[in-house]
Amino acid sequence: MGELMQGSLRSATAGAVTVLAVLFLVLPLAVVVLFSFHETASLSFPFTGFSLRWYESVFASAEFREATKNSLIVATAVSATTLVLGSLAAYGLSRSDSRVRDALALIFFLPITLPGLFLGLGLLVFFVGIDIKLSLATVAIAHFVYVLPYFLLIAKAALDRMDPAIEEAAADLGAGPWTVFFRVTVPQVWPVLAGATSLAFALSFDEFVITFFVIGPQSTLPLYIWSGLRRTIDPSINTISTLLMVVTLALFAIAFAFTLRTERRRDRAVPALQVPA
Amino acid sequence: MSDDQGRLIIDAVSHRYGRVAALRDITLAVEPGEFVTLLGPSGCGKTTLLRIVAGFVQPSAGRILLGARDVTRVPPHRRPVNTVFQRPALFPHLDVGENVAFGLRVSGVPESEIVRRVGDALALVRLDGYERRRSHELSGGQMQRVALARVLVGRPCVLLLDEPLSALDLAIRLEMEVELRRVHRETGATFVYVTHDQREALALSDRIVVFNQGRVEQVGTPQEIYHAPASPFAARFVGDANVIPVEVARASDGNTTIIVGGGRMPAPRGAGIASGPAWLVLRPEAIRLSPAGAGAAPGLLGSIEDCAFRGAGHAYRIALAGRQDVLKAEVAAAPGAQLPLGSTVTIHWDAAAGALLQREPEKQ
Repeated sequence: MGELMQGSLRSATAGAVTVLAVLFLVLPLAVVVLFSFHETASLSFPFTGFSLRWYESVFASAEFREATKNSLIVATAVSATTLVLGSLAAYGLSRSDSRVRDALALIFFLPITLPGLFLGLGLLVFFVGIDIKLSLATVAIAHFVYVLPYFLLIAKAALDRMDPAIEEAAADLGAGPWTVFFRVTVPQVWPVLAGATSLAFALSFDEFVITFFVIGPQSTLPLYIWSGLRRTIDPSINTISTLLMVVTLALFAIAFAFTLRTERRRDRAVPALQVPA
Repeated sequence: MSDDQGRLIIDAVSHRYGRVAALRDITLAVEPGEFVTLLGPSGCGKTTLLRIVAGFVQPSAGRILLGARDVTRVPPHRRPVNTVFQRPALFPHLDVGENVAFGLRVSGVPESEIVRRVGDALALVRLDGYERRRSHELSGGQMQRVALARVLVGRPCVLLLDEPLSALDLAIRLEMEVELRRVHRETGATFVYVTHDQREALALSDRIVVFNQGRVEQVGTPQEIYHAPASPFAARFVGDANVIPVEVARASDGNTTIIVGGGRMPAPRGAGIASGPAWLVLRPEAIRLSPAGAGAAPGLLGSIEDCAFRGAGHAYRIALAGRQDVLKAEVAAAPGAQLPLGSTVTIHWDAAAGALLQREPEKQ
């Protein structure tokens, strides 16, 4: 009895803490979204009325459209490059000799541990050093460096989970290495690769710190928001933040859905016989 | 398919994993259409040898020849051999028909021929009409049949089977053994089969290669391996024989006898060892037991340590009087004829049933 009550007390406490934590995380975002629909320029309560005027003014802004276009260009280039090079790198890492693999993986995953500040500064010094003009291209290169480890981490995990006997069976049946990769490996992991690509897109799309260092005269969406904040503070910032949030959330949802799809397929494919290794 | 394509020659193959020698100087010729089993305990190198033949492992030394062609450096996808793995390893994103068609697809066989040959291959493993099933809808035995059809469809001259039945239940395993024998007869392909199950090896093979610690212990027909094992290891591993150290001596009447502990028994005929230390190989089913003092036949004394009813008879473990050795005996017994535990029995056997092997004296 006592244990039961203690247990329910503990779960009640845990529940309350969880709710508080979620509120703490979500409420500021909710306020941002709410005030993006505010009829006046006020950014604090009371909320006096509902209006779409800030959305109209944001979409009317040529600077906003330009920044959005730039962000889309960079994110598309980065995610496409990451998909191709990242998939090949992850495959190579996953299938290489174990002694080489661990050392290589360490090098590949290292950028995750670096603060964006260092990465941005380092790349800036590098670009200036080899005399490359700062532009959207340098932003894309920087984003690729930043995004690749995340992509690799996800893609490699999926490739590592594959049964190596399946690729061997394909080779045994006459399929060369490329045929094995495209007709056996990719069809099994493509949802994960697609998910990781959307993640790469999202990471690039709202990246600020690194971009700030290596961008030329142009602007991306996060930089536009930042420069907007410096000028005036009005609900159009909330509007842009809301839009950015919607895009990012949608991409994460897509990534999650793809991963879920793979997991479900794997569960279903658990064979009727399992051989202890 | 009786031409040379199905001849496999393993020529002086050695392999090391780092410092560990997995295979030491293996030479073996497999005739076209033959069913050869590589038999040995796990870690004896048999799977490594199969993977070398398939092309997944490059041997440290030696050559692999298929027909007259040296394929040692040929990658797996260009070798005219196919493998059935321990796990079915079906392509999870393809249905049964597409799994079987895979090999034909990648080698560019016309579509109409693919459909016909996939149907034939599935019929051969008795899965007619399963083309559109997904692999996760199949039982373990069915998956392994699909894996078999997937390699048979390419009409390989040499088929490699790496413990294909070890993950299946006993009943399905026995059924699949029958299927494998039939498929081997019908295709006429060379089968190289790897297993650690001596019963499977005896039941399926034309010839058995007994492996131990990366070496070949013995090559022979199942009958030869069973009745005339060449080493104590082969004797113990195949058929679970008793292998007991004995002394061979010439008796006063001129016949050779063997001395086991305090007892003397006539030596097996044609043993080839006139005197000195030897191993006596004795199959459990060759041993006969009678309550001590009951029979007139000469024998050794022992006491019953354990008894298990096996349906057709009893399996006894008997401690030999005055010795460390424990003998295993299988006695086809009439109902109710079980010998009581702890009772003293006389152990005897036909002289012809035993075999003697050389023994180094210091190894006792």
